[in-house]
Amino acid sequence: MLDHGRKAMNRCILAAALTAIVGLSGLAAIAHAEQPDDGLVNESAAAMKGKKVGFVPIAMGFDLTEAWAAGLKHDAEAFGYDLSIRDPNWSVDAGAQAFSQLISEQPDVIVVHPPEIQAYTRLIQQANAQGIPVVTMNLKADANGDVFIGANWYDIAVKQTEAIVKSCGQGSGKSGKIAVMQGVLTNPTSQYGIQAIEATLKQHPEVQIVSNQAADWDASKAHAIAVTVLKANPDLCGFIGMWDNMDVGIAAAIKEAGKTGEVALVSSGGGNQASACDNVANGNFSTYISYDAKGQARDLMMAVRSVLQSKPAEPGTKSIALYTPLKTITKESNYPGACWNLDDVKKYGP
Amino acid sequence: MSPSFRPAFAFTQEQIVVAITLALLVLFSVTLDSFLTAGNILALIQNVSILGILGVAMALAIIGRGIDLSIVANMAVSVAWVLQLSNNGVPIEIAIVMGLGLALAIGLVNGFLVAYVEIPAIFATLAMGTVAYGFVRSLLLEDNLIYLKGAADTWFKWIGSGQVVGIPNSVLLFGLVAVVAHVVLRITVPGRFIYAMGDNPTAARSTGIPIRPLIVLQYVTAAAIAFVAGVIAATSVDSVETRIVRSNLVYDVILVVVIGGVGLSGGKGSIRNVIVGTLLIGVLVNGMTIMNVAYTLQNIIKSLILLTAIVIDSLMNPRDEQTSQQGDI
Amino acid sequence: MRETLTRLRYRLVPDHVLGEILAKNWIDNAIPFVILLLTLSIFGALIPGLVTLGGLGGMSAQFGELLLVVLAMTIVMLGGGIDLSVGSVFALSNFVTLALFNMLGWPIPLAILAALACGAAVGLVNGFLVGYLRLRAFLTTLVTLIIVRAVVDMLILAYAVKVARPSTRSAIWDFISFDRVFGMPVSLIFALLLAFAGHIFLTRLRPGWYILAVGGSRRSAYNAGLPVRRTVAMTYVVSGMLAAAAGVFYASRLNAAGSDTGVGMEVLALTAAVVGGNSLGGGRGSVFKALLGTVIVLIVSNSLIRLSLPTGGSSLVLGLVLLAAVAIDVKWLKNRAKVLSRVYVSPTYMKLGRSPDTAEHSGSPYAVNDRLKNVELIGLGEIDGPEDPILDAQGNLYSGTRQGDIVRFLAPDYTRKEVFVHTGGHPLGMAFDRDGNLVTCVAGMGVYRIGPDRKAVKLSDQTNRSWFSVIDDSRMRLADDLDIAPDGRIFFSEATIRFDMSEWMVDALEARGNGRIICFDPRNGSTRTVISNLRFPNGICMARDGQSFFFAETWGCSISRYWFDGPKRGKREVVIPDLPGYPDNINRASDGGYWLALVGMRTPAFDMALRKPGFRKRMVERIAPDEWLFPNMNYGCVVKFDESGRITDCLWDRSGANHPMITSMREDRGWLYLGGVSNNRIGRYRIPGADPEWTAAASYRGEKP
Repeated sequence: MLDHGRKAMNRCILAAALTAIVGLSGLAAIAHAEQPDDGLVNESAAAMKGKKVGFVPIAMGFDLTEAWAAGLKHDAEAFGYDLSIRDPNWSVDAGAQAFSQLISEQPDVIVVHPPEIQAYTRLIQQANAQGIPVVTMNLKADANGDVFIGANWYDIAVKQTEAIVKSCGQGSGKSGKIAVMQGVLTNPTSQYGIQAIEATLKQHPEVQIVSNQAADWDASKAHAIAVTVLKANPDLCGFIGMWDNMDVGIAAAIKEAGKTGEVALVSSGGGNQASACDNVANGNFSTYISYDAKGQARDLMMAVRSVLQSKPAEPGTKSIALYTPLKTITKESNYPGACWNLDDVKKYGP
Repeated sequence: MSPSFRPAFAFTQEQIVVAITLALLVLFSVTLDSFLTAGNILALIQNVSILGILGVAMALAIIGRGIDLSIVANMAVSVAWVLQLSNNGVPIEIAIVMGLGLALAIGLVNGFLVAYVEIPAIFATLAMGTVAYGFVRSLLLEDNLIYLKGAADTWFKWIGSGQVVGIPNSVLLFGLVAVVAHVVLRITVPGRFIYAMGDNPTAARSTGIPIRPLIVLQYVTAAAIAFVAGVIAATSVDSVETRIVRSNLVYDVILVVVIGGVGLSGGKGSIRNVIVGTLLIGVLVNGMTIMNVAYTLQNIIKSLILLTAIVIDSLMNPRDEQTSQQGDI
Repeated sequence: MRETLTRLRYRLVPDHVLGEILAKNWIDNAIPFVILLLTLSIFGALIPGLVTLGGLGGMSAQFGELLLVVLAMTIVMLGGGIDLSVGSVFALSNFVTLALFNMLGWPIPLAILAALACGAAVGLVNGFLVGYLRLRAFLTTLVTLIIVRAVVDMLILAYAVKVARPSTRSAIWDFISFDRVFGMPVSLIFALLLAFAGHIFLTRLRPGWYILAVGGSRRSAYNAGLPVRRTVAMTYVVSGMLAAAAGVFYASRLNAAGSDTGVGMEVLALTAAVVGGNSLGGGRGSVFKALLGTVIVLIVSNSLIRLSLPTGGSSLVLGLVLLAAVAIDVKWLKNRAKVLSRVYVSPTYMKLGRSPDTAEHSGSPYAVNDRLKNVELIGLGEIDGPEDPILDAQGNLYSGTRQGDIVRFLAPDYTRKEVFVHTGGHPLGMAFDRDGNLVTCVAGMGVYRIGPDRKAVKLSDQTNRSWFSVIDDSRMRLADDLDIAPDGRIFFSEATIRFDMSEWMVDALEARGNGRIICFDPRNGSTRTVISNLRFPNGICMARDGQSFFFAETWGCSISRYWFDGPKRGKREVVIPDLPGYPDNINRASDGGYWLALVGMRTPAFDMALRKPGFRKRMVERIAPDEWLFPNMNYGCVVKFDESGRITDCLWDRSGANHPMITSMREDRGWLYLGGVSNNRIGRYRIPGADPEWTAAASYRGEKP
């Protein structure tokens, strides 16, 4: 009798537990089904779920790539695709290696940030040939891939040159001597930027380039070069820099020489608060052309979403160009919100 | 430290370098208008003072028959951490103590690896530079480039950017570090022991000098000096770029030390040689800059001069097949 | 009971193998190899699909290039230098190839040749400065690193735009760039072939040996008359060309002339070379080590990129891996010899039978007497180490010496002496063959035949290698004594395969059967091991039946007989089980018996030590070799036994003044000639009542007993 009672009790507990489980899963099902199918939402989510996305930046740890990665991470979580970031830490060779490694793993899309015009060209073609769509970020390689998201470097350099002509050209009363600080010479910033600078300056013969050197995106190298240039040309009027993270080195050199405000520094970059707007506000940069990396991150998310949902039939044959809208920031146009904040983007997504 | 058997007519490398420096000084003064002004001379020394301070640290390691390839990494990451801490609200004094502690710890590990594990100094410090950078960058720092924000308006900022009676602090600190290092090496017991150890480690050990603790002390001191250099560098440009670790700076430091006449085989040379070497590079770079020589070409010229100096040294003080040491690269 | 256990334990556990493995040269690669396995297992576990053909194949293009650069670094390091300029040369070569091909439109072979020439030129500058002017390698190549890098930077600044875009296509270039042979990129095939060639060069060719000699000890190499400066200079030229070749492949792979090409490559290459076990400072290293190091570094660095660590994380891990690898390597290198010297000697259990009495008037056949007191002395102070004197048909006396000569004392008075032949090693046992040629065992060299024309011919210096021996036992280390069978076959003993002549006594501490008897057959030139695992087999003498020989086992204190022919073929019998001393050579006597030299007498202390292997092991490990307990080798005698093993005669030098240690004796025309491997004389003793016409040759011909 006692035994029977215990058995009954056991059965009771089991039944209760079962009910609870069934009830809970029912609730969960309800929670899922809460969103009505509008005809696309479920289908598109399913198309992205479990896909593999590879990202090879030039390096992690600076505003541009961190913002883009934040965007991809956001989507990877939201749609359940698998994101793999390979950080070659500024080494072209390691980057090429990581890229070819990714190709052999056959992901559904590869996002690359080419350090040079040529270095990844063959690899992009190779990936396309194997049926993997490629999205190139910000720096245009010779091969188009499927989507290009990034700045038009010719445009940026034209805008930068016009800005410097304004401060150093006719009527400014300055010497008209300017210096150009390039990043990596084989990079599209230099390849197209220099042509733009030269073409623009043709119309302003009073402005001449007295120094044209490369600092490999390295602020300390830019600093060393700028110190030299400033000393060699005491009457220098301005610098054109090609990337804010590097140009802070120039700004430091100008500051050391006590010439802040006197020597113009026109920079460009991803529009991160710390390296763009702050530097404009404190006078380090006189003019800044922003290609809004936060917006690019958004573009990247959308591009990856669309490629994942509808894979190009023959990758690499029809390329889409998404050139980033440019924003000129000066002391006057440095409104709150002109820049974005990296910490916030990392925390809340682009 | 010139051995007594050296013939009277031979010049030491130091004398050659002094002669070259003076010749360049005269040459530039005559040919370049803006060269021989008080402002330019001060700027000249200011520009090389960081190099000079690092040179003192390197000389210390080299005189004791070692080499420290990690000083640049050490200086960058320890000071970057100081800035990062102060940006996050840690009082600058505490941040400095923590940063110095980090630098000394890296030096301690260097010394341990060289003295107790007996890894060749070149390799141990090379690898430690990588480890130190990787450790601090991945675990302690948020960015490659750390700005001086938190302590921008404190006395800390004054260290590298201020001046006393018209002389920039960096120049004064270079002088101070050099004098202290010179006195320590010349007068104190550990200093003399470092010379003895560099000259002949086996003999030094036989005579009872505690070689291993001394090696550790040597690398820890080098690390401390590197930290000072890092503080000056960071406060003069308001930021630390940790990618400096990948640059050629450490090679420039070796250049400054060796060109002045500190022998790489240890036991030879003094802080005076470092100053001479630093001044030569300073004069050279300054002159070339005024003449608008491109940055890369300057590198080539610097290197060629170093090469000339060591070739002359090797011709005047030839190494003998019979006395050259094994594994002495 | 306890002793039985000890016996079993030492019979079953092959202690000696550990020491033999540690003594192997290839054990040097063990540490890098273990590191490689660790790397593979750790990263293989972290990264799914790493340890697959595809996973590793993805690295293959980079592998070829890196391997070339590591080889470049290694060859300079082997020569005692270091080449930091490899990364810059790599970049220079990359630029030159692209510039000549893309910009100037040169044919690709010419462009490649020009790039290699550039690399060789930089190497020549390095080589001239370091080799001929003797600048310090580290500084000098540091300077060339900076200069070449600056030159490349300037070139890129001027021509970067034009260089990157190919103007023409070339079939060869496309082949190098894209094609795969056996699934491997061309660069890897090339690098592996070159590595193989490099291995042959370093281990088999004279210039390669020069490099290792110079790196091992520049001073000794100089004193030995090697072209030190030229050798050093050449290593840099080769290094420059190898780095340039890597640069060419890089150019073909990426077609990019960026300014960061090859930056930090010198560190990576140095790391690979050192992690592989090539020592900084030269002398120790190999191509295989370079290969191992390259694989390790490549896997680590690539895996770290794939692991998506936070920035700096890969530097941290890479640095730690390197430090750990080098620390282990340094410690291993330092302690290997120490450990080896402690483990190599591995005693085993042995129990000898009761030692016969030798006391005077004891009635024992071995009883001490003083019959050798008044021997005549030959060549006193003029020779060193006459182990086994022998006489020819004319009565001239031959003897080996420690200096590596065979000396001949001329009959009849043996006061005149000449060097008969120089063998280069210490000649031990000797015998004349039917044609009057002198056949001798030369320690450390093998068996040689010396004709009357004084020409030495090597008969045999290697035998078949045993399957399970760790030591390469095909080479002869200590051929000891020999005798010649009627059919011309030469049977000789090799005392031990574990020790060289200089430490033959240490073999006694092991008491293991380390020796063997080998047969050389002149009819087909073959050499085979006949009996192995003997306890220091020493003297060999043909029995008069022409089908068997007697042989002595020194540490076994016994005489055995072995039949190599006839009905008892292959049988082995102990003739005298327990001698009072350690037997050495055996030779025929005129009365139908056999002379046997006892090189030393047994002592109760050492007999007991033989039963306690643990004691001997502790002794070897803890105290200096000078203090070790060895068998007594200071006092011995000559005995005569008949075919049944009965002792029929015994000769002692009680005072020990002339012949304390006798290793051999030879009867000839009524005299007995006495030799000792540590003596400086040959003794001559008139045998009372012996046949004055008897010679060993006559006995072997069967004319005399």
